[in-house]
Amino acid sequence: MDDPLIVVVLLLVAAAATAAVAVRDPVRQALVLAVLGVCLALLFTVTQAPDVGLSQLAVGSAVTPLLIMLSVRKVRRRQQDGKEKER
Amino acid sequence: MNGWTWTATIALGVGVGAAVWGVVTGPLRRRVVAQNLSSALAAPGLLLLAQGYGRPAYVDLALLLALLGPVGTLVFARLLADDLAGDPPRAWAVTLAVAGYGAVVVLVLCAVTGPGRAMVKLLVVGALLIGGNLVASRALSGGFPGSRRG
Amino acid sequence: MNARTALVTALEVLGWWAALTLLWLVLISTVDTLEWAVGTSAALVGAVTARAARRAVGAR
Repeated sequence: MDDPLIVVVLLLVAAAATAAVAVRDPVRQALVLAVLGVCLALLFTVTQAPDVGLSQLAVGSAVTPLLIMLSVRKVRRRQQDGKEKER
Repeated sequence: MNGWTWTATIALGVGVGAAVWGVVTGPLRRRVVAQNLSSALAAPGLLLLAQGYGRPAYVDLALLLALLGPVGTLVFARLLADDLAGDPPRAWAVTLAVAGYGAVVVLVLCAVTGPGRAMVKLLVVGALLIGGNLVASRALSGGFPGSRRG
Repeated sequence: MNARTALVTALEVLGWWAALTLLWLVLISTVDTLEWAVGTSAALVGAVTARAARRAVGAR
C-alpha cells in the first residue's frame, strides 16, 4: 500500500484548497488555483487514476488561470473607465 | 511502497509543499515564482512515481505537465506584466536549483532505464521541463519586452 | 512563388515532418504499422502548421 504517499498528497491538496478559499485578491487566488490544479493531478495519479489526472492538468494548469485573469483584466478596465467618467 | 515511491513521497512533500507555501504567502513577485516552480517541482515527482509503479505510461503525465506548466506561467507573465513591471521577480538561484533537481532526476531515471526509446522520451521530457521553466522565468522577470503589446 | 522559394518551402516542411515523426515514434509505447501511418499523417499536418506559424511569427 502507498498510504504515506497518499497522505502527503492529500495534505498538500487540503493546504492549497484552504489557501485558495482564504486568499482575498482574485489575482493571487488564480495563482493558488493553478498550484491547486497541480496538487489535484498528483492526487489523482497516486490514487491510480492517471487519465483523470491528465484532464485535470490540461484544464487546471492553463485554462482556469487564463479565464480568471481575463475576467480580472476586463473588470479592472471597466472600473477605470467608470472612475474617469465620474471626474 | 518501494524506494522510488518513498523518494517521490519526500520529494513531493518538500518540493510541492514549498511551492504551496510560497504561493500562499509573501509579495506578488514571490507568488508568481512559486507558481512557476510548482510544475517544475511536481514533474520529477511524477517521473519517480512512474518508475516506482512500474508503469511507463505514467510518464505522459510528466510530459503534459512539462508542456502546459510554462504555458500557464506565460499567461500570468503576460496579464500581470503591468503589476510586475515595477517589482520584477529575481529568483535565478532558486530557478536554477530546481532545474538542476529536474536534471538529476531525469538522468538517474535514464541510467536505470538504459538506452532505448524510453530513455529518449525521458530526455525529451527533461529538456521540455528545464527549457520551458527557464523561458517562463525569463518572461516573468520581463525578459521579453517586445511581447508586451496589445 | 519561384522555383527557389518553392524548394526552400519543401525543404522546411520536410524537415518539420521528419522531426515530428521522430518525436511521435519516441513518445509512443509500441511501434507498429498503424502507429507509423497515424504518426506520419499527423506529423505532416503538424509540419504544414508549424511552417505557417513560423511565418506568422517571423512576419512581425
